[in-house]
Amino acid sequence: MRFVLDAEQRLFGETLDKLLTEAAVAGVARDWAAGRHGPGLALWRSLAAAGVLALAVPESAGGAGPLPVELVTAFHELGRHGVPGPYAETVAASVLLGRLPGDSSSAAWLPAIADGTAVVSLALPPAVPYALDADVAGLVLTVDGGELRAAVPGEARTSLDPARRLFAITPGEVIAEDATAATAEGYDMGALMCAAQLVGLGRRLLEVSVDHARTRRQFGRPIGEFQAVRHHLANALVGLEYARPLVYGAALSYGTPDFATDVSAAKVSAAEAAYTAARIALQVHGAIGYTDEYDPSLLIRKARALHSAWGSPAAHRARVMSALAH
Amino acid sequence: MNIVVCVKQVPDTATERKLRSDDKTLDRDAADGVVNELDEYAVEEALRLKEAHGGEVTVLSMGPAKATETIRKALAMGADKAVHLSDDALRGSDALSTSYALAETLKKIGFDLVILGSESTDARTGVLAAMLAERLGTPQLTLANKVEVDGSAIAIQRVTDYGYDKVEASLPAVVSVVEKINEPRYPSFKGIMAAKKKPVETLAIGDAEISADQVGLASAWSEVVDFAAAPPRAAGTVVKDEGDGGVKAAEFLASKKFV
Repeated sequence: MRFVLDAEQRLFGETLDKLLTEAAVAGVARDWAAGRHGPGLALWRSLAAAGVLALAVPESAGGAGPLPVELVTAFHELGRHGVPGPYAETVAASVLLGRLPGDSSSAAWLPAIADGTAVVSLALPPAVPYALDADVAGLVLTVDGGELRAAVPGEARTSLDPARRLFAITPGEVIAEDATAATAEGYDMGALMCAAQLVGLGRRLLEVSVDHARTRRQFGRPIGEFQAVRHHLANALVGLEYARPLVYGAALSYGTPDFATDVSAAKVSAAEAAYTAARIALQVHGAIGYTDEYDPSLLIRKARALHSAWGSPAAHRARVMSALAH
Repeated sequence: MNIVVCVKQVPDTATERKLRSDDKTLDRDAADGVVNELDEYAVEEALRLKEAHGGEVTVLSMGPAKATETIRKALAMGADKAVHLSDDALRGSDALSTSYALAETLKKIGFDLVILGSESTDARTGVLAAMLAERLGTPQLTLANKVEVDGSAIAIQRVTDYGYDKVEASLPAVVSVVEKINEPRYPSFKGIMAAKKKPVETLAIGDAEISADQVGLASAWSEVVDFAAAPPRAAGTVVKDEGDGGVKAAEFLASKKFV
């Protein structure tokens, strides 16, 4: 199995990194958390123009996909920059809707997803109990007893990450009667996107922590010269380096019977690695790490929220366990 | 309109750039190669002109095999095809011989308009556009922050210290652009994948009828005699205000000939 990205995939990732660096995402995330969606939706359109939202939409519906490796590459960058919005949800919905029969009315949403005009959110209880950012979504989906239904968003809930705005939903009109297989695939893809975001998020937290350890001086020297600080940073790196190949490996097993299990393994290790990186980042930064005005605090909170989004580590461990037992 | 954009691969300005100790040329292995930033504006301007007036955009790059990454990026932005001038004999060429090699190649591939970034982040000579125009016998329109083409007429706004000059000429011509001219597009995923299939013609000096005795380090008119790391910045002077701070500040400014 070849884990090395090709030249095109690398250029795609670098392009997104540059686009997001120039977009100054921390400010966009703060606006998003405060209910000012304008800049976040403008960024959504830029990312759609770069091709991100077409990657999970089938070619027959105006997309380019599904291309799991390119999706993981893109979501790694979305995670690294802490981009707010229901991106994983829209990708999961693209895969789900793409698996329905072509004459289904909901399939008409796919071209609009691909070109960035449609934002979709969904709730797939029990693993995904609330619909993320349902108030900006043109379409909210849920699955109830194997039936795919439009969902009616209700009350907003608070998340550990203020830029994740969660909505309770009630199932509405039936869209497709038997969506069990499509839902399973959509869920797995959503969990994989979440795992890729977590690895990117952990990476960025490690980068800012290393920078801090190099510049912050205490007892007459940079704190990075203290071995205990270095050990912490090395532990964060080791976790992320173990998680990354699992995430890309799961992307490569899309379409095989191992996909669900590989996604679960990837999600567990990415969640634990990013959460470890977040705790270490907090400790290395000292009190400034949980200062609201300081950008890494946005990422630290997102790491904790994504840790249990798209299925908790325990739920994913249970899936790996049951696959091993068979 | 047949537009040729010259792009150069340069070492990433975000990393430490080095010269080789043996022949004092750029150490290309010491840093990642990236597209010279101003050349991205040149590619963008070429694409906009093509979108407005039709025609074709060809990327021309002189550089080692590694420069294909830079060519691919320009193709991913939307250029139609590329010519890669690559030959060991070109290594170490200075501005004069680079302009000669590029001019010979341009004569061979043909052009109505040549667009370049106004300088590269590594050599920073900023003379290539003028040299190319001279060698090609065409008008030079440099430091443009606006380009307008109407039939065979071309007009630019040339940035100056006091504002801008309006410069007009007729095609074929050579234009160099500054960063105020536009906002370069990001290559889209579709563009990146399409670039894989676009033709890249690799030329050696013989293919472009470039004579070996006019290029390369041995033929360079300029020579790097020595180089050293920039000295670390010295600590500034601290003036303690004891009622005479204003006078001391004025004296300092006068000593630097500011007042």
